[in-house]
Amino acid sequence: MADINATVGSSASEWIRDEFAKPATLNLDFVLSELSEPDAREGDDITFEAKQTPTFSFWINAIEADDQLRQRTAFALSQILVISHVEGNLLFEFPSTVAHYQDILVSNAFGNYRDILDEVTYSPAMAFYLTYFQNQKADPDSGQMPDENYAREIMQLFTIGLVELQPNGEPVTDASGQAIETYDNDDVTGLARVFTGLSLDSDEFFVDFRFIDPAALYSRLKTFPEFHSEQSKTFLDTTIPAGTGPEESIDTALDTLFNHPNLPPFLARQLIQRFVTSDPNSDYVDRVATAFATGSYQLPDESVVGEGVRGDMQATIAAVLFDEEARSDAATSANDFGKVREPVIRFVHWARAFNAGTVTPENTFSLWNTSQPQALAQGPYKSPSVFNFYRPGYIAPGTESGAAGLTVPELQLVNASTVAGYANFMTFFVFALAAQFEEGAKATSFIPDYSAEIPLADDPAALVDHLDTMLTFGAMTDATKTSIIETLENIPLENPDDPDADNRFLRVGLAVLMTMTAPDYVVQR
Amino acid sequence: MRPNRRAFLAGAGASAIGAASLGGVGAALNSFQAHAADVSGYKALVCVFLLGGLDNHDTLFPYDQSSYDELANIRASLFAQYSGMAGGSTRDRGRLLKLNPDNAAAFGSREFALPEELSGIHGLFEQGDAAVVANVGPLIQPLTATEFENESVPTPARLFSHNDQQSTWMSSAPEGAQFGWGGRFADAALASGANTTPDFTTITALGNELFLTGEDVIPYQVGFGGEAAMLDLLEFFDGNRSTPEGEQAYQLLRAHFESSSFTSSNLIERDIAAANAASLSTNASYNEALANAIPLATPFPDTFLGVQLSAIARTISIRNSLFVSRQVFFVAIGGFDTHSAQATDIPTLQQEIDGGVTAFFQAMQELGVASDVTLFTASDFGRTLAINGDGTDHGWGAHHFVVGEAVQGKNIYGDPPPSNFGHAQDAGGGRLIPGVSVEQFAEPLGRWFGLTDAELAVALPNLSNFTAPSLTFV
Repeated sequence: MADINATVGSSASEWIRDEFAKPATLNLDFVLSELSEPDAREGDDITFEAKQTPTFSFWINAIEADDQLRQRTAFALSQILVISHVEGNLLFEFPSTVAHYQDILVSNAFGNYRDILDEVTYSPAMAFYLTYFQNQKADPDSGQMPDENYAREIMQLFTIGLVELQPNGEPVTDASGQAIETYDNDDVTGLARVFTGLSLDSDEFFVDFRFIDPAALYSRLKTFPEFHSEQSKTFLDTTIPAGTGPEESIDTALDTLFNHPNLPPFLARQLIQRFVTSDPNSDYVDRVATAFATGSYQLPDESVVGEGVRGDMQATIAAVLFDEEARSDAATSANDFGKVREPVIRFVHWARAFNAGTVTPENTFSLWNTSQPQALAQGPYKSPSVFNFYRPGYIAPGTESGAAGLTVPELQLVNASTVAGYANFMTFFVFALAAQFEEGAKATSFIPDYSAEIPLADDPAALVDHLDTMLTFGAMTDATKTSIIETLENIPLENPDDPDADNRFLRVGLAVLMTMTAPDYVVQR
Repeated sequence: MRPNRRAFLAGAGASAIGAASLGGVGAALNSFQAHAADVSGYKALVCVFLLGGLDNHDTLFPYDQSSYDELANIRASLFAQYSGMAGGSTRDRGRLLKLNPDNAAAFGSREFALPEELSGIHGLFEQGDAAVVANVGPLIQPLTATEFENESVPTPARLFSHNDQQSTWMSSAPEGAQFGWGGRFADAALASGANTTPDFTTITALGNELFLTGEDVIPYQVGFGGEAAMLDLLEFFDGNRSTPEGEQAYQLLRAHFESSSFTSSNLIERDIAAANAASLSTNASYNEALANAIPLATPFPDTFLGVQLSAIARTISIRNSLFVSRQVFFVAIGGFDTHSAQATDIPTLQQEIDGGVTAFFQAMQELGVASDVTLFTASDFGRTLAINGDGTDHGWGAHHFVVGEAVQGKNIYGDPPPSNFGHAQDAGGGRLIPGVSVEQFAEPLGRWFGLTDAELAVALPNLSNFTAPSLTFV
């Protein structure tokens, strides 16, 4: 509420300039500090709990950090430039490597996408995740070829996508109406030669983790020219001449991808999907893509953000948030407008709205891995694969939005199992069940402060209006309001069997949970 | 929203009858033909999807000495990494488990084998309850390496891309596809009255699986551990129903969670409301049926695949209480995208497949439905024969297993290409151009499931491009 009040009186333009100016709240220092605790180790290995520290850091920053738009942008980027440290993945063993990657996205969220591509490519996290760590040039004697994994996914997922796009994100089609593919396998094998000769920052290419300076795990990768392909590298109508070294080759490759005409609309559409609406119209994509390509955007107060250089993230994010399609009543009241709030965002929203007491995720086991269907079915930096939890092109079969042809990525997570899972996950937090069933520090972790809501418990209509401001931002339907009010009216304020029972708390909890499970909350419009 | 969906379908049915009377006898016959699937008895298909692309070259091995030597030579450094395994390499020829197919003569002097991690499936093969279908993958029409190179024949879009080839395996179209052939098979059975409701026709322990989605069916998610998830808060209020207010609060709360009075014209909100409604009612129905379940004696391995197949077996055990005679199931495990650490990862994954599949077959025998349930494997694609150091890259065609007492087992269907480069089905680097299209692979499964030719043509749109005789593995 304090945040809402702080915004009142200042213009939206001022707000976003302030957000852009806020210093970044990072993750690595927290994780390194946790890892240096004596109890973070069991023998030679890091404990299971210590391996979760990047997740703890994510929750703490998402809930408590002042640079909210930056954290939110970094989370959006983490769903495009995906790494995952879900248990079972190699990265689960390297929490500092994951935190270093988180910081690349947080630090550069309001920088330039070209820098993001550079830092991501040289990050140990991506090199481990997409297996170009210690990737070598071809060996004609054995027939060994460079690993193609990163070459393929940096094109398909991080920069240009599979089919040629118009500036507005619509596919370019050939004479027979077919989409034109942006690359074929020869482009992949050509580009794969570029990402050879990269290893951790130490003397040896084939380094043994046990004997390395731990700082190498969270430092920029080092190039080893003797393991880098000396062959010419041809991809996307670009040829890097034979004998070009690793750094120059990588620079040329990233420039080629960065300057490809697909990149602005490819990224613009996905960023709109992460913030505003699942199936943006092509004019909206076009305007955001233009802001990305020109690197500047004019705010409503006529000030300009962005440095005027292609890839500027401030111009891009401002264009996403300030577009008429994001703000006008006509646009937002359309039947095909809106997005399913991401489950991770819903939980963070709750924790922020009700000042959840001690933000100590280490003491709340259910926050360690929320990617299971009985939790949130989504966890920060814990996607099942590089394809994220849902695909930007997902059209949900058997639904009305699907019948209308709308892409609604987050519906990929919605089903009989996850609907109940989410409600039960939130029930634990909303009703402060930890206080009832846990002991010590676990009993005080994430306990909500309903001091603003409890006084409204005897006036269900007032309570519901208050929650409409806090959670649905005035979009709660009359049907949902009536449903909540009628239910609360059947909960007596005092329990005749138990004079100590506090049914005011029960009423507030019910109203919060009912709001957060209603379709008009689950869908952000 | 599920009830609305039914009402919508009923309305569509009524207008179809109107169309038939206007359009005459031909249309009426067509509509009869479209609803002719054989749904007698009980039958189920189980798709085991191996996410990431299982390396075909590291699964079905050439066993005759000269073919084996060819593979071992090309993959020398990978084989060397296998030598580092505890107990030595399971890729040594002496340790491979030779397959003795009834159709060995079809392959001349060529012989084939499985690694010992797949010993259970090898046993099922030898006893006639499993078959190998070689070099299966997405195709639009038959294709040779020359035609591929010259781009003279249409090929599936977005080859070698994970998500698109998963989608193409499941639905004959890249990402964005709406219906999978498992869902289409289920639609056909449903149209012939196989099941009382569509709710429990296609089932998974995972998520919103494309393979299981049809026009009339969407996948239902069973819990790993047994019961479907119910709402904790409703269970709590269930204990307060002795007073009128308590009963009233319970009913209001239940109605809220089912979004039963929610109205909106926004399509996404309507979809969420529909999902809320479906979740509560189908989960309650499932749990009601599950209450009569007799626990299976067959133990399942405690692996991700084992847990999923155990949940599927449990669901099959209550098929009568769910009022179904045709079901399609989908399970999946990941980790097969072995660009790196293949020698470390593949043996464990193959053991997981083997343990899960053999336990499932035994459980079906225990239930007396081993000839009514047919399991098959599927994967994004195969992998390159060439290695990249400690792994392999994205390929195309791959070898798959079909398991069940209905299977004409102890046979290798299709033709495994040689383990070298430059042959007529090498798309480069030993990526195999499929000899059997996914739709040709699906056809006998659909026919066994009870579909007519017309229904198969709907589910498998490119099938008519293939003139080779149908496969007869089931």
